[in-house]
Amino acid sequence: MKFLPFFLAVALFAGADDTFVLRGVTVHPVTGPDVENASLLVVDGKIAEIGDARLKTPKTTKTIDAKGLHVYPGMIDSNTEVGMSEISSVRETSDVSELGDFKPQLRAGIAVNPASEHIPVIRANGIVAAMAVPDGGILAGQASLMRLDGWTWEEMAIRLDAAMHLRFPTVSTASFGPSGFSRASFSEARRNYEARLKNLSEYFERARRYQKAKAAAGAGFKPDLALEAMLPVLAKKVPVMISATRERAIKDAVAWGEKEGVRIVLAQVRRPGSALALLKEKNIPVILGPTQELPLEEDDPYDEAFTVPVEVHKAGVKFAFGSFGNQFSRNLPYQAATAVAFGLPHEEALKSVTLYPAQIWGVDDRMGSIEKGKSADIILTDGDPLEVKTNVKRMFIQGREVDLESKHTKLYKKYLARP
Amino acid sequence: MLRYFCRLLCAAALSLSGGIAETPAVIAIRNARIVTVSGPVIAKGTVVVRNGLIEAVGENAAPPADAWIIDGAGLTVYPGLIDAMNTLGLSDSGPMTAATGGGRRGGGPPPTTSSGPPAPPARGPEDRPLNTSYLLAADQISPSDRRIEAARNAGFTSAVTFPNRNIFSGQGAVINLAGERAGNMVVHSPTGMLLTMRSAGFSGGFPASLMGVIAYIRQIYLDAAQYKTAKEIYAAHPVGNRRPDYDKHLEGVLAAPRILLPAGNPKEIERMLRFGQELQQDTILYGLAEGYRAAGTLKRHNAKALIDLRWPEKSRDTDPEQIDSLRSLEMRDKAPSTAAELKKAGVPFAFYAGALTQPSDTSKAVKKAIDAGLPAADALRALTLSPAEIFGVADRLGSIDKGKIANLIVTDGELFQDRTKIRYVLVDGVKYEPAPEPSASPSESTR
Amino acid sequence: MKFLLFLTAAALTAAPPIVIQNATVLTVTKGAFKGSVVVQDGKIKEVGEKVMIPPGAQIIDASGQYVMPGIIDAHSHIAADSINEGAVSVSSMVGIEDVLDPEDIGIYRALAGGVTTVNVLHGSANAIGGKCQVIKTRWGKDREGILFEGAKPGIKFALGENPKRQGNVSASRTGSGAPPVLRYPATRMGVEDVIRQAFNDAKTYQAEWKGYNERKARGETVIPPKRDLKLDALVEVLEGKRLVHAHCYRADEILMLLRVADEFGVKIKTLQHVLEGYKVAKEIKEHGAGASTFSDWWAYKVEAFDAIPYNAAIMVKKGVLVSLNSDSGELMRRLNTEAGKTMKYGGLTETEALSLITINPAKQLDLDHRIGSIEPGKDADLVIYDKHPLSSFAKVQRVLIDGAVYFERDRDLTERQQREQRKKQLLEKEKQSQPQQKKNAGPGRRPA
Repeated sequence: MKFLPFFLAVALFAGADDTFVLRGVTVHPVTGPDVENASLLVVDGKIAEIGDARLKTPKTTKTIDAKGLHVYPGMIDSNTEVGMSEISSVRETSDVSELGDFKPQLRAGIAVNPASEHIPVIRANGIVAAMAVPDGGILAGQASLMRLDGWTWEEMAIRLDAAMHLRFPTVSTASFGPSGFSRASFSEARRNYEARLKNLSEYFERARRYQKAKAAAGAGFKPDLALEAMLPVLAKKVPVMISATRERAIKDAVAWGEKEGVRIVLAQVRRPGSALALLKEKNIPVILGPTQELPLEEDDPYDEAFTVPVEVHKAGVKFAFGSFGNQFSRNLPYQAATAVAFGLPHEEALKSVTLYPAQIWGVDDRMGSIEKGKSADIILTDGDPLEVKTNVKRMFIQGREVDLESKHTKLYKKYLARP
Repeated sequence: MLRYFCRLLCAAALSLSGGIAETPAVIAIRNARIVTVSGPVIAKGTVVVRNGLIEAVGENAAPPADAWIIDGAGLTVYPGLIDAMNTLGLSDSGPMTAATGGGRRGGGPPPTTSSGPPAPPARGPEDRPLNTSYLLAADQISPSDRRIEAARNAGFTSAVTFPNRNIFSGQGAVINLAGERAGNMVVHSPTGMLLTMRSAGFSGGFPASLMGVIAYIRQIYLDAAQYKTAKEIYAAHPVGNRRPDYDKHLEGVLAAPRILLPAGNPKEIERMLRFGQELQQDTILYGLAEGYRAAGTLKRHNAKALIDLRWPEKSRDTDPEQIDSLRSLEMRDKAPSTAAELKKAGVPFAFYAGALTQPSDTSKAVKKAIDAGLPAADALRALTLSPAEIFGVADRLGSIDKGKIANLIVTDGELFQDRTKIRYVLVDGVKYEPAPEPSASPSESTR
Repeated sequence: MKFLLFLTAAALTAAPPIVIQNATVLTVTKGAFKGSVVVQDGKIKEVGEKVMIPPGAQIIDASGQYVMPGIIDAHSHIAADSINEGAVSVSSMVGIEDVLDPEDIGIYRALAGGVTTVNVLHGSANAIGGKCQVIKTRWGKDREGILFEGAKPGIKFALGENPKRQGNVSASRTGSGAPPVLRYPATRMGVEDVIRQAFNDAKTYQAEWKGYNERKARGETVIPPKRDLKLDALVEVLEGKRLVHAHCYRADEILMLLRVADEFGVKIKTLQHVLEGYKVAKEIKEHGAGASTFSDWWAYKVEAFDAIPYNAAIMVKKGVLVSLNSDSGELMRRLNTEAGKTMKYGGLTETEALSLITINPAKQLDLDHRIGSIEPGKDADLVIYDKHPLSSFAKVQRVLIDGAVYFERDRDLTERQQREQRKKQLLEKEKQSQPQQKKNAGPGRRPA
């Protein structure tokens, strides 16, 4: 177990270390108003009670004096390569992109290295869970929601099949090949796109036929691992996470999702334009690409990327943030904060990294807010977690205190001490 | 041999269709309206051409007894048009685009021509990459280039033609657009050296970037200056001094009377004007797609400019979701106004048609400049006397004046107007009749 | 964008005095207080809780707002048409000054992020790269107008993975099937060799010219040596006239460069990125080099795997002159919060954090007599934020350069609408003229 030394003494006589009470804290439940000078009781890793200073707890319950600290739900990053890629420029350390166009049977979670140096680094900024997303081809595989603590990927997995990642075909006139950058005509790009879209629809058609064949359980039925993985998607148990950036692609993706009768979540949404009304109407949530990005076009307002979340919020579409990659996951809260500077209500920003992703990935019954019965996936901070200056002082995942040391803090201490 | 035979056949066919007339030594065009360009328009007068030169022009010029008479009633005589920049006669050259090297990808490498194993990539200016400064267009002219006739049919009687494949592409020449042999055609050489900002491209060696190209050119000029000094000192003091190496790349640079530098937008215009000054070269800019924004700068630098008549257009078959930038929309809207702006600012300029797909598109392109505010007379000047002045051959080309080369066009109306047809083209006093154009397409006649 | 901004650019020339009132003034060098800043003739005239208001002054009421010195980005690649001359291992003959693009929209975006001074660097493809150019983000001005007049010239060096990349087979695949052309060096050893060799060549060249000038002065007739632009720049480095900004990552290569520089009597002005600077902070300080780093980039390549967000703080604590840079047209708009991160990672004070993007980079460019703090006599390069600039929620409201307002959030909001309208007009106009355009298509497109 990984408790801090000073905590050790308390833990020795306190029984299970996932039962404790935090006192003197300000609780930010996200789903309700903040509670100042609160006491938060965690029993068996679950939130048992939020009360004031007078909250009575059994004598045996260890008390953690966290006076002056703020308690927030741990944050969730909705799109990362966490544990799948260690050094992005070194192919050997990356397990993000598999070969082939259709490989729904692939599961990102099993390629998450629990010993990755990235995990403690990301965690240190208050992120308790992240979507590990596979890429490459059209149907890239299953994205897994992983809690950022555990000895094995199995212990880390919250949902291995949290979503099926579909990189929706785009009408792309620009391409980069061995002979450098080239540009195709729109008609050519459109034909290319339609061909890929046709392949995609055919694949889903095959999956449906497989579904029927399996249900009929005829004599000649042969199991197919790839198509088997499609069944939860067809049954709407697993949403399809579709990467689609601009208006046309978003509309195409929504139309396609309707036609195939699948549940969809859009990712990397950046220029939804008039598709927002459609998203609202169909109740489709979106994962926003990084807010801290350059405008897409020269003529765009300088703050174009900063204000996408504001637009999406105003349209009443549910959204969460993803950091897309492995380097800047720890900056997830600042993606949301930048949007706040440019008009997103602060409470929405906070929800978009806690409650909303939990809802989108179907785990809001156990995480995403500080509510009775939910898992104690919480952080203790000395301020607003969206502020860059704020320190995450302690973190609990399923009520277990998590070590906030990382490769970075270790090197810091080591070299600060160099004579 | 076979090719020569073909050419004979073609020539025969042309004369049958009235393409080339016989070549009388003396031609007089009388009762014609004469636009001399150098002086006032003569409402009704005569031009006399003898032995390839203009012998007389005026209201009262009398046709000599031995002259072949063309009745010019209802016709207008203009000086033959000069294309200020082209690759006519140089079959090995590409279209004349202004590769300014703008943008981070640079102009890209030129297509390779030589066979054999590729040379190792250049590792610095000392390897003299992309340098054929010694190449003389005059030595490369091929009279059989089929583009020559097309240009002539569109009213061009001369062109300044340049090798255009390298950074130091080579020396241009003023040529007349008719002649049996290359030697007949050359009017002036070397007329100027064409420089491009084309990099060697990805993994093509030095220079791989625009700033590499600029530094390279700068270094070559430093080398050339040192080379010149070294040669002079050595010529005077051969004893005790080491003989400088002969360098054809520098010889070419030293031989050029002027240089041509590419520039499209104000940034490039300013950059190239400054560069020309730094190199202490008589500089002509070419391209000028956004010249309308830089008339003041051009004037301040006493610049000379060659304006590309291929106006920027929206690319075809593009993604409707992808809207062009305001900057490119403005450019497409305003590019044809560059000439008018330069005229207002008093900047000498000429047009070039070398980048147009068809010389016959010239009229329409010039019309756009006129519609954008350029007086028609100035449009004509930009294709006649101005290029002659810019390239220092106004003493022999560019206007209808006594003693000048008899390059003339005779039309049935105002030049650059849709319905106007060119009846005759005279090059060095030799009369050509453009073959009738293929009948207009329906879309053309419904305007 | 340009066309609309010209309207305002005209107004910039004859600027009246400006008084920024009721602001929290973060001077960086002289503390923070509630008060005013008076700007006249492009310079900061007076700073204080109470100031003299010059007649005819324009008043900017900055109640509840914060004023700080214009942000300085010591490492950027905006505003240039080319960045790398990658064909050679020593490209000191090239320079950003030749390819500046005053119309790069990146300038405006940087301005809108509070950046007023930028060191535009050559890339890191070669051990010795090209010359750099310091500019101010005077959007709307031409090339001459964006140059930081009087700034000392600089040059880029680069160590580690990037300059040796073209020496390795896999990375230099041409795609054409031709055997790859390798470029020396392929190792960190070779990088040192290239730099030492280049300095050596420069010394020889320096001596050659000295000899020539002496003989010529004696009246001898001598053929002049060749001028070599590549070595000219390096002679300037040897003579201390050109500042070296060296891209580096690992501790070993950092130390290598410092020692080679020592050998030739050269002072490295700044180490750029310097992500393992924290491991050799002592040696960096002893040499006297500045360090310009990222707040929290790491793991994007092997040499960045030991990068830590505490780098800046450790180096500050060990006495190194540290700045934070962006190396990115995006990040440069948020250098204020990048600085804020050092308060968390290593516990720097507010003033220390702000110094990383103001007075420290000013010193690293030898421009601290002009910029980097709010003090009378310095250039009036100022940023006004609606919240404390070290907060995630702060947004730039106004930016002044040389006492003239170059960015105003409200003006931007108006201009973006005008821009859209103008675009619509032009698109409509072009649509109308389409049939005619079709006519101009090449002959290949005409019906036969």
